[in-house]
Amino acid sequence: MDNNIFIAGVIAAFILVTVLLIWSYNRLVRLRNRVRNAWSDVDVQLKRRHDLIPGLVETVRGYMTHERQTLEAVTSARAQAMTAGAPIAARVVAETALSGAVGNLFAVAERYPTLKAASNFTLLQEQLNSTENCIAFARQFYNESVMQYNTAIATFPRNLIAGAMGFSRAAMFAAEAGDRPNVAVKVTN
Amino acid sequence: MGPVPDAASSARPFVPRDPETFYKAQKRNRRATWRMSFLCLIATLLMGIPLTLVLTPLFYAGTMVVAEIVNYFSPLPPEFWQNVNALGQLAVKVGDYVINQKGTLDPQSLAFGLALILLPGIVIAFVLWIGVLTLFRRGGVGGTLMSLNAREPNRNDLKELQLVNVIEEMAIAAGLLPPKVMLIDSPGANAAAVGTSPADARLVVSRRLLDDLNRDQLEGLLGQLIGSIGNGDLRVAFMVTSVFETCGLLVTLINSPFGRESRGVLWRILRYGFSRSSSQAAHAAEAEAVASLLSRSLEMGQGDIDRFFDAAEKSKSFWRKFLTFIFFPILFTNLAIELTLWFFLNVLLGPCMALVWRTRRYLADASAVQLTRNPDGLATALQRLSQDNTAIPGSVWASHLFVMNPKGDSSMSKGQQPTADQKQRMLLAWESTRPGGTAQGTLRPPGTPPSEADFARGMAEFRQTQLAAMRGDAQAISRLMAVGKAMGAFTGDIPNPADVIAAQRGDQAAIARLRARHEEKPHLQTTGLQAQSMLSFHPPLKRRLKRLDRMGAHVEMATRKMSLGATLVMVVLWLIIGPLLLIAGGAMLVAIAMIIMLNLMFLGLWLMLIHGIFWWLAHR
Repeated sequence: MDNNIFIAGVIAAFILVTVLLIWSYNRLVRLRNRVRNAWSDVDVQLKRRHDLIPGLVETVRGYMTHERQTLEAVTSARAQAMTAGAPIAARVVAETALSGAVGNLFAVAERYPTLKAASNFTLLQEQLNSTENCIAFARQFYNESVMQYNTAIATFPRNLIAGAMGFSRAAMFAAEAGDRPNVAVKVTN
Repeated sequence: MGPVPDAASSARPFVPRDPETFYKAQKRNRRATWRMSFLCLIATLLMGIPLTLVLTPLFYAGTMVVAEIVNYFSPLPPEFWQNVNALGQLAVKVGDYVINQKGTLDPQSLAFGLALILLPGIVIAFVLWIGVLTLFRRGGVGGTLMSLNAREPNRNDLKELQLVNVIEEMAIAAGLLPPKVMLIDSPGANAAAVGTSPADARLVVSRRLLDDLNRDQLEGLLGQLIGSIGNGDLRVAFMVTSVFETCGLLVTLINSPFGRESRGVLWRILRYGFSRSSSQAAHAAEAEAVASLLSRSLEMGQGDIDRFFDAAEKSKSFWRKFLTFIFFPILFTNLAIELTLWFFLNVLLGPCMALVWRTRRYLADASAVQLTRNPDGLATALQRLSQDNTAIPGSVWASHLFVMNPKGDSSMSKGQQPTADQKQRMLLAWESTRPGGTAQGTLRPPGTPPSEADFARGMAEFRQTQLAAMRGDAQAISRLMAVGKAMGAFTGDIPNPADVIAAQRGDQAAIARLRARHEEKPHLQTTGLQAQSMLSFHPPLKRRLKRLDRMGAHVEMATRKMSLGATLVMVVLWLIIGPLLLIAGGAMLVAIAMIIMLNLMFLGLWLMLIHGIFWWLAHR
C-alpha cells in the first residue's frame, strides 16, 4: 500500500514538473516573439518616415528657393539612413541624424509665412510629426517587451531552464549619448 | 521626439505628494478588480437564492400541470405519481430541517433535497444568461452611437488628421491594432470605446472634443480609451450588461403570456437573433433597442402582468376575469421576482458592478500614463472637459463607456471659484453676444486680454440682463440663450426662459410645456444601465485627478478640509441613518421572504385545484 502511494506521488510530481516546463517554455517563446514583432514594428515606422520625406522636400522646394543646403542635408541624411544596414547601433545613429536634419528643416520653414499657410504643408508637417511620435512609441513598446522578456528569463525558476532552452537576453533600443553626431543648425539669411 | 512638456510646468521643482509609479498603480487596480469581482459573485449568489426559490416552484407547477394533462389523455404509470409524492415529502423534510431545525437528515438526502429545490432555478437563469451572451455578442453595447450621425474622419482637416494619427500612435504604444474611429457632430465633448473585444473595438469621438483639447490632451484621453481596450474592459462591460439583461429577459419571459408588449419584445429578440444580412450599424442599433427594451421591463409596476391584474380596470370581460382567477398565483410570482430584482440589483449587485467598473476606469487611467509617459495630458484633458458639456445624444444605455460622465461631474466644482481660464471664456462668450452698435461703456480693442475692470463690467451687465429677462424683456432673453449656446450648452437643454418665468408665475401652459420638454430629453434622464445601481458607474473626477497627481501630474487640487463641527454633524447623521437603513433593508428582506412563502402557498393551492379538476374530469 505504501509503495503504491509512493509510486503514485512520484508520477504525479513528474507530470507536474513536465507541465510546468511546457508552460514556461511556451511563455518564453511568446515573449520572445513579441520582442521580435516589436522590433519589426519599429522598422516599419522608420521606413514610413523614409517614404514621407521626398514629398516634404518637393513641397518645400518651391517656397524655400534659397535653402538648398538644408534640403540637401535632409536628402543625404535620408539616403544614409536607408543604407545603414542591420547592426542596431549604426542604424540608431543614422536615424537620429535624420531626425535632426528634418527638425532643422522645420525650424527654418518657420520663417516662411507663405509656406506655413499652405495647407498641404501643415498636413505634411503633422504627418511627419506623427511619424516621429510613432517611432518613439514603437521604441517604447519594444523596450517594454524587451524588459518583460529579460525579466522572465532572469527570474527564478525560469533562469534555470532558459539557458538550456536557448533563450538569451535581448538588446534595448537606446541611443548612446556619445554616438549622437553634431548636428550644426545652419541658419542662412 | 514625443511630447515635450512646456516651459511653465518644468519651472517649479516638482515633487509628487505621495508618489506612485504607474506600474504600482496598475497592480493595485488589478488586485482591486479581483476583490470587487469576488464581491459581485457573492452578490449574485445572494440574489440567486430568492430568485430560485421563486422560479423553481413555478417550474415544478408547470411540469405538474403538463403531467396532469398528459395523465388525462393517457394515464401515466403509478410509479410516476409515487416518485412525485416521495420527492415532495423529501422537499418538505429538507425545508423543515433547514428553516425550522426539525428532524434529522443524512447528508446525502440533504444534498439531494437542496439540489431539488435550488437546481431548476439555477439552470433556467444560467441558460438565459448564456442565451443573452450569444445574442449580443455580435452587436455589443453602445450600438446606436455608431449609427447616429457618425462619420469617418476627414483627413484634410488638421484636427481630424491629428485624431487619426494620435489613435495610431497610442495603438502602437499599446501593441494593438488601431481601432476604427467614428466622429459625431454633437455639441457635447466626449469619447467612448464600444465593441466586445479588441478585434472589433471602435472609438466614438465627438468633434467638439477635438476643438477643446490640444494634441497632448487628446493623446492622454485616447491613451486612456485604448488602454482600457487593451486591458479587456470591453469584455468586462459586456459581462456587466449581460447580467442586467438576463434579469430583464427573465421578467419579460414571465410577462409574456399576459400581454402584447412582452410578446412583442420577445418576437423582436428572435428576429434579431436570426437576422444575418443587415449592416453592422443597423445590427448594432437593433441590439441596443432590444437591450433597452429589456432594461425597461425591470422597472417595477410597468409590466404586462401588472396591467393584466389591474383591479382598477373597469371594462374587463368575463373571459378576462376567468383568466385572472386561473392565473392568480402568477401575480405573486411576478411580484416576488420584481421585488427581489429591484432590491438586490439596486442595493447589492448594481453597486458591486459599479465598483468593479470604477476600478477598471482607474486602471485605464494608469495605462494612459504608461502609454504616454505624460500624466499631465490626461489630467488637464479631464479638467478641461469637466468644465464643458459632455452630453451626447443616444448615449444613455452606454453611458458607462464614456470617458467623462455624460451627465456631468460636479465633484470638482463644489465651492470653488471659477478659474481664470473659465472666467476669460465666460467673458469672451458674453462679449460675443453683445448686440452690435450698442454703446455699453468703453469697448476693448479686439485681441487684448481682458482686465479685472472688464470682468466687473461684464458681471454688472449680466446681472442687468438677468433682471430684464425676469421682467420679460425678449431681447434680454434671447441674449441669455445666445450666451448659453456660445458656452457650448446643448440648445435642447436650455428651456425657453420665457417659459421658466411664466411657470414661476404659475402659468399652467408653460408648466406643461416644461414638463413635456423634460420628459423628451432622454440623455438627462436616468435610464438604462445607470438606473440599476444607486452608485454611479463613473468614478468622481476628484479621485481620478488625485490618483493622476500621485503618478506625477501637475494638478492643482484645492484641499477642502471640513470644519470640526460639520464633521461631527455628519457623523451623528450617519449614526442615526445607518441603523435606519439597515432596518429598512431587513424589512425588505422579510417582505421578500413573506411574498415567496405566499407564492409557494398559492402555487400549492392552485395545483391542488387543478389536480382536483382533472380527477373530477377523469372520474365523472
